[in-house]
Amino acid sequence: MNPFTYSRAEDAAQAVAGLSAEPGAKFLGGGTNLVDLMKMGVETPPRLIDINRLPLAQVEELPGGRGVRLGGLARNSDVAEHPLIVERYPVLSQALLAGASPQLRNKATTGGNLLQRTRCYYFYDPDFPACNKRKPGSGCGALDGFNRIHAILGQSEKCIATHPSDMCVALSALEAVIRVSGPEGEREIAFADFHRLPHDTPEVETNLAPGELITAVDLPAHPFAANSLYIKVRDRASYAFALVSVAAAVEMDGDRIKQARIALGGVAHKAWRAMEAEEILAGQDAGQAIFAKAAGAALAGAKGYEHNTFKIELAKRTIVSALSNLTSPA
Amino acid sequence: MSTATTEPRVLGKPVTRVDGRLKVMGAAKYAAEFNPQNVCHAFLLKSTISNGRIASLDISAAESAPGVRTVMTHENVPPADAPAAEHGSGGGIRNEERRPLSDDIIYYGGQYIAAIIAETPEQARHAASLIKVDYESKPPVLTHEQVPDKGNKPQENNGEPVQLNQGDIEAALDRPELTVVEHTYTTPTETHNPMEPSATVAEWLDDDHLTVHDSTQFVKGVQDLLRRAFDIPQENVRVISPFVGGAFGCKGALWPHVLLAAMAAKKVGAPVKLALTRQDMFSGTGHRTPTTQTITLAATADGKLQGIRHRVRTLTSPVGDYVETVGARSTGVMYASPSIAVEETVFPVNVGTPTFMRAPGECPGIYGLECAMDELAVELKMNPLDLRLANYADKHPISGKPWSTKHLKEAYQLGAEKFGWKDWKPEPRPRTRDGLLVGWGMATASYPGYKMMAEARIELRADGTARALCAAHDLGTGAYTVLGQISAEAIGLPMENVTFELGNSDLPFGPVAGGSNTTATVGSAIYDAAKNLHQNLAKLAAADSASPLHGIDPEKVTVTEVGMLASSEDSDKAEAFADIMQRAGKQTVVGTGGFKPGTSEPPVAFQSFGAQFCEVQIDPAMPRVQVTRFVSVMDCGRVINARTARSQILGGVIMGIGMALEEETVYDPATGLPTNRNLAEYHVPVNADIQEIEVHFVGEPDLAFNPMGARGMGEIGITGTAAAIANAVYHATGKRVRDLPITLDKLL
Repeated sequence: MNPFTYSRAEDAAQAVAGLSAEPGAKFLGGGTNLVDLMKMGVETPPRLIDINRLPLAQVEELPGGRGVRLGGLARNSDVAEHPLIVERYPVLSQALLAGASPQLRNKATTGGNLLQRTRCYYFYDPDFPACNKRKPGSGCGALDGFNRIHAILGQSEKCIATHPSDMCVALSALEAVIRVSGPEGEREIAFADFHRLPHDTPEVETNLAPGELITAVDLPAHPFAANSLYIKVRDRASYAFALVSVAAAVEMDGDRIKQARIALGGVAHKAWRAMEAEEILAGQDAGQAIFAKAAGAALAGAKGYEHNTFKIELAKRTIVSALSNLTSPA
Repeated sequence: MSTATTEPRVLGKPVTRVDGRLKVMGAAKYAAEFNPQNVCHAFLLKSTISNGRIASLDISAAESAPGVRTVMTHENVPPADAPAAEHGSGGGIRNEERRPLSDDIIYYGGQYIAAIIAETPEQARHAASLIKVDYESKPPVLTHEQVPDKGNKPQENNGEPVQLNQGDIEAALDRPELTVVEHTYTTPTETHNPMEPSATVAEWLDDDHLTVHDSTQFVKGVQDLLRRAFDIPQENVRVISPFVGGAFGCKGALWPHVLLAAMAAKKVGAPVKLALTRQDMFSGTGHRTPTTQTITLAATADGKLQGIRHRVRTLTSPVGDYVETVGARSTGVMYASPSIAVEETVFPVNVGTPTFMRAPGECPGIYGLECAMDELAVELKMNPLDLRLANYADKHPISGKPWSTKHLKEAYQLGAEKFGWKDWKPEPRPRTRDGLLVGWGMATASYPGYKMMAEARIELRADGTARALCAAHDLGTGAYTVLGQISAEAIGLPMENVTFELGNSDLPFGPVAGGSNTTATVGSAIYDAAKNLHQNLAKLAAADSASPLHGIDPEKVTVTEVGMLASSEDSDKAEAFADIMQRAGKQTVVGTGGFKPGTSEPPVAFQSFGAQFCEVQIDPAMPRVQVTRFVSVMDCGRVINARTARSQILGGVIMGIGMALEEETVYDPATGLPTNRNLAEYHVPVNADIQEIEVHFVGEPDLAFNPMGARGMGEIGITGTAAAIANAVYHATGKRVRDLPITLDKLL
């Protein structure tokens, strides 16, 4: 573990100033991923700025029926169990509860969850020499290595890692908005623009500007949000990262799909929004044929590697299963 | 005159764990929790290549990092090594036989190349990151296909045959009227992953007195190897291990970190604590070798086996010669067949040395054989249970000896009844439940009755309490409780009056806690010590004219009631222990004894058997296998404690579920390093994976085996589990997966 300095921020301005003052400094929220990576020698921040005392742990209704705001420090367990979330955004509650363990969810924060690093073996263990994300220019150990848990969509020759979050898959389908505070003031980032695909710079994972702090995540009051669900497919019944997951939300008009949102987890460098599938579904009568067509479109650009080609078929089946669930009469 | 033989008073009772409260309160101290004054902390740097040599090693930055006391490498350490003892000698076990840090050659990924000792664990770990290593690297050899030569065919392993050739297998396989099935089954590398990673705290009291707190299955073995490594008298080495947080075999041999801790403590002149990381545990303390097994069965139309051929390939490392003995320990004991052939080849690869892992040999071997039996049943259109019964072995298939006791037929019968096997349907995909596929499978379980050697000491006090002592081990198995029960039974005292002490090399010799032998071996020694205790009491009584036992032959006493010594010829002649001791003015009377396996072959074969039945449920779209019901019926002789025995079988089944569905250590083809060396990516079953598991016992006390009549329980539970599950998966889906673990991608 690299030596580091610890300090505690009393308010958002102090936190932002602290982060801007020292290159490489990091915010400490729940620490469930960051501290682990520090022990592994993957993260070596010279300073940790503890933001746990900032008043950002709320889950509250936005005025004017505009939705719900999650504070950046709202704990995963608090969000998952909150009545507003359970009733209006079931996909988010289910995704959070499908992740990690109760102990980890009690610590993990909303902002921290957005910034989780990949579980790619070659990234997480610095004894592997090649990882462009950890050591730009060193190559990708996973390309010709053991790549069972890796990406099939949106990857590059530089990096085939996946984003590990379940929460983010739900937020993608819900078209959440990230609120940040930085040296230049406050701004909003649409969820789709928050995380990046790897391209040639897999080490840059988000579009956060230097010094920016995630203060909140807004959940808009979309008509599809309440009819939503999360399916996570993994190697054991609990406490495993997704091989494939699907967050789906559908607004129905009788038997007809008015509009749908579909996001995939475990398949890409970010939660993968399947917009082609959504377009196919819009305005169509619900049924297996159209679900299969949508699933096919979602995976049309997928490319598998030696150990993960199964994810393409698995993702299609999971999409069909999610849509069947959401559109069948209760 | 009466000579009543009484039923056991304490044996068989479901006594709660005597150490349960300590563990729940966090008061049971494990090796890494011992903190001698001024203790330093070690961190080990591991090789990032698997084949080659260290070209250069720059430790200057590490040496000058804050808190660092020393950095040990192959360039600066004095030799400290001890070869493994001869098998059966009671000496220590080495699987990796290379002296740590002895040269610049890299034999496997994760090999320790430096030990950093600092004042805090964080300082040591940070300093390790400052060491610069350059390697000359060659591509690693990781699979048997990559090994250039033909491998090694050992004839013997630990005194047991590895290759078998009985009857004329070729002739049997050529008989045109027979049904022949032949398939290849593979099992992956599995890593033990006990909750408690290995840890050693080494402290030199002076130049030739060493105390070691170690997480080990064999305190006497560690003592033996350390005294030889440092050339000091045996009694100068103390190895202390009161609690072990799970082991499953990976703490049975002495691994390099134990030597390194003692070497480091000597070098820095202060106690050194070396707690392995989870990552270290994937290369530094062994694993279960992967196996490739081609099994050929030839049977008549009514299912009578005429030939079994079991060809096995396993792996070992360049720095050890571990052999798994897969075929002989499975096919060699299970079924009657006029011809049985086992051919086993071991290939050295650039991976750390394998070791014992819960039922080494039986576990992969029975998986292969029992899947093959299921495939034969399908081919013959037989009920798989009927096929097992048609080939029931009434005597040992190789030695021809009768079994000491065998109640496998009862196990099959009770298991079938509890499970509801009568409703089994032959065709695959027989039923669905809520849209999910449901399938049933079964398999036979087996594990031998092993005894090693042990000594025991009993100290009976005038107040009616006693302590019993042996350097045995409790790995979380319940040995404190079970050995306490045996002691209370053998001495003739209530359970609550007896304490059992173990886990310390100062105590009388205890064997490695392996081969499910602790209860049988240590229990035998306790009985012998109790007999000696009773004789010593009888001598006091015999010499005392006031005693009802005055003049008695000390050989002719027994205990018929709690705390009462009686004549074995006339139980009316009896006197309380306390009264004998009081009149003799004795505060303590001691009994000592031991057990050694005989030099002559026993006339019977000691082997436990069991029947395991399983139901799985599978979503056809997203086909992760769920084990919804599992029934095990075991014949292990007398069950000494129904509670801890059930727990052992449950644990075996759960570990078997992991083997069948989840566990696999995967090595990176380029570097040879284990890719998933953490508990997030190496999957073992979690609570949510475990549904209904039933455990039942049948049989009778195996009194030919030992005075308790008990055979071991630790390993048999896992042995049939993976096959039962794999067979149920076939039944549910119609798809035969012959490659463990059965992850959902293999069923898409």
